[in-house]
Amino acid sequence: MTAPRWTYARRASQVVCLLGFLWLFVQTEYRGVDDLPYPVGLLFRLDPLAALADALASGPFGWGLLWPALLVLLLTAVFGRFFCGWVCPLGATLDGLGRLLGRGRRAFSPGWRRVKYYLLFALSAAALGGVQLLGLFDPLAIFLRSLALSLYPAYNFGVNRAFDVLYAVDLPVITPAAQSLFPWWRDHLMAFHQPVFALSLFTLLVFLGVVLLEKLEHRFWCKHLCPLGALLGLCARHALLQRTPKTLCADCQKCDALCRSGAVRADGHRRSECLLCMDCTGFCPEERVVFRLRPPQRGAPGIDLERRGVVTALACGALAAPVVRIAPAQERTNPYLIRPPGAVAEAEFLERCVRCGECMKVCIGGALHPAFLEAGPVGLWTPLLVARVGYCEYNCTLCGQVCPTGAIKRLALEPKRRTVIGRAVFDKDRCLPFAKGVECLVCEEHCPTGEKAIVFEEKDVIVDGVTRRLKLPKVVDRLCIGCGICETKCPLEGASAIRVISEGESRRERTGLPAGPYG
Amino acid sequence: MPAVDRRTFVRTALAAAALGSVPVLDLLAVPARAAEAPPLAVRKGSDIAKLVRDTLAALGGMGRFVKPGSVVVVKPNIGWDRTVELAANTHPEVVRTLAELCLEAGAKQVRLFDRTCNDPRRCYTQSGIAAAIDSLRSERVTLEHMDPRAYREVTIAGGKALPTWEFYRPALEADVFINVPVAKHHSISRLTVGMKNLMGVIGGSRGKLHTDIAESLADINSVLPSDLTVVDATRILVANGPQGGRLEDVRRLDTLIASPDIVAADAYAATLFGLKPEEVPSIVAGARRGLGVMDLNRIRLV
Repeated sequence: MTAPRWTYARRASQVVCLLGFLWLFVQTEYRGVDDLPYPVGLLFRLDPLAALADALASGPFGWGLLWPALLVLLLTAVFGRFFCGWVCPLGATLDGLGRLLGRGRRAFSPGWRRVKYYLLFALSAAALGGVQLLGLFDPLAIFLRSLALSLYPAYNFGVNRAFDVLYAVDLPVITPAAQSLFPWWRDHLMAFHQPVFALSLFTLLVFLGVVLLEKLEHRFWCKHLCPLGALLGLCARHALLQRTPKTLCADCQKCDALCRSGAVRADGHRRSECLLCMDCTGFCPEERVVFRLRPPQRGAPGIDLERRGVVTALACGALAAPVVRIAPAQERTNPYLIRPPGAVAEAEFLERCVRCGECMKVCIGGALHPAFLEAGPVGLWTPLLVARVGYCEYNCTLCGQVCPTGAIKRLALEPKRRTVIGRAVFDKDRCLPFAKGVECLVCEEHCPTGEKAIVFEEKDVIVDGVTRRLKLPKVVDRLCIGCGICETKCPLEGASAIRVISEGESRRERTGLPAGPYG
Repeated sequence: MPAVDRRTFVRTALAAAALGSVPVLDLLAVPARAAEAPPLAVRKGSDIAKLVRDTLAALGGMGRFVKPGSVVVVKPNIGWDRTVELAANTHPEVVRTLAELCLEAGAKQVRLFDRTCNDPRRCYTQSGIAAAIDSLRSERVTLEHMDPRAYREVTIAGGKALPTWEFYRPALEADVFINVPVAKHHSISRLTVGMKNLMGVIGGSRGKLHTDIAESLADINSVLPSDLTVVDATRILVANGPQGGRLEDVRRLDTLIASPDIVAADAYAATLFGLKPEEVPSIVAGARRGLGVMDLNRIRLV
């Protein structure tokens, strides 16, 4: 039998692509060079949904970054949804995990497959209105942020613990061997610092939810929900790569039961739904199935969306946009909303960010963390700088390098050092020299601007009736860039006595208009 | 409760007051170690490798400190993500030459590390020290990232500010500990030289030490005495320390100071900044604690 070789080829492609993405992912880490040669953001340059989000966002379309995604669309128009079956890392993960977990065999009505198109239309309409949520459902973003925020940190934790145990028990041969292996492992296959994120569990639950859909039906996500699948499906509608026989054969009908995407039905082969897994070339008992390039033909079944459904989806999306945008300005309600350096103005940032988590993965100081509701209801998984946990390293430009959509602009070192992401403010009720009358100045010591943005004045302070000469710190607004190292290093337990607020950030649009009825 | 009569109380209190107020009578500042004046070598020169070799030769050569087969820790200051010319970290050439000298003296192993303030990978690379150590191409010399598992809680006998603190085991366990600071301005401790460089081999929340930095430094230096202190003053940072960032705050002095007495080395370094040793609280605390000699008239220049 010659047919299954296509299945093997497809599986090999999935494994190679998945490993390739994982390799890129592990490369997305500072390893002694300031410019990352292979950031995993490359993955998104292939992502037509990211390209769609970019096209719908304000500002010019990023041709230079996103032309590979357009190439994918072009290839899809010729070959169909090869991306879903052969390339997509989430699809490969679902195929692999589905095999491990066991798959459900429930038959869902064919109408379910329309859901993904309606979702795509609703999200596009919302994006056109300035509320971009495509990233929440983008399979590549789901894959990468689950990896970045949950799976990779958990892997690091596990490996570190294993080495810890070996270190602690001190076995004669094994411990020295482990100790000599550890630096190499850490330098090549691990994060240098254990990644720590507040939303790890939540992110994992969402990922598990997508995986557990396999228990309902094989590739449930891809068939019914994935908006990228829908976009590719629209392109693949008249794909030139066509299957023969076009419909179920009268003597067999096996395709009806076995096709994982439900693409082969009595009314024909739906190229919009076919994931090109090529399994049918193998399981056909008569070896009848072949895929060939042919000119487009009339009469092939379409996507058969309901007009009412399409209108409803568009209306929902169009309505969501203004409702979300009437929220009060974030900079007023949350002064601790600090974005990475190079982030564009907040409104455009929310439109451009695809929530892939790459900036958080690569952040050398562990400063960037996914937002839950801190950035408003549509800011979920967007990066926030949480300076008590980590700070923005003065000489580092990595987040702008890995951002696939230009939500964080790529900055050269000099402009980055001058980009203000916020400003430090003292809490004198807690700061040691002010509140307790003892010396400290840890913040001043760490302040990285060449001419320090934290300085001190020597003053006589009366503490418990005794006059002491103390060095009292203060912030020089003109010099502070809000990197947050002062907040990270403040030696107080719990909250820092110096905190970065978003005031004065470079990216803010200052229109001069009053922000509310009272200015 | 033991009875203390008034007379005993007054007598004790007076004696204590006398000891505390009159420096001449401060017995603690006249340590037993200082019976013999400590040697201190100061050399100048722009060829750094030669400068290091000359300075060490003046002290009798590295062989006086490093015996064949010993494990040596060379502790530079690599605290900051700054390039060489900004004088925030020890000069890589100084570090490399010292490592070479240790190898020539027959060291079994030369280990280098620092608990950095910025990201350790960036500091090691940006300081130039990673490249300098790589260029030695010796398996006996390693620049290591600190292992978070390898800290040990140590009780500090006679500690004034710190009853206990975490220390890095490889530093405690080394046969020879060579302290290689760069001399810099520092707001809270005035200067950071050899005694403060030990901040890089301790664990815990180091910021807490700032509330009483002088006594804290004396405490940690009493646990881990430096066998040799080599102060890099090839260029010094005179303002915006300890990490600097502006060339206008850097002064090129082409100077190296070396001594087995850390207090003497720090005291001499203070003079490069126009300060008297007694103006730097950690030097005074170190001398009081018997860690070395701060009176520059009582050292032996070699």
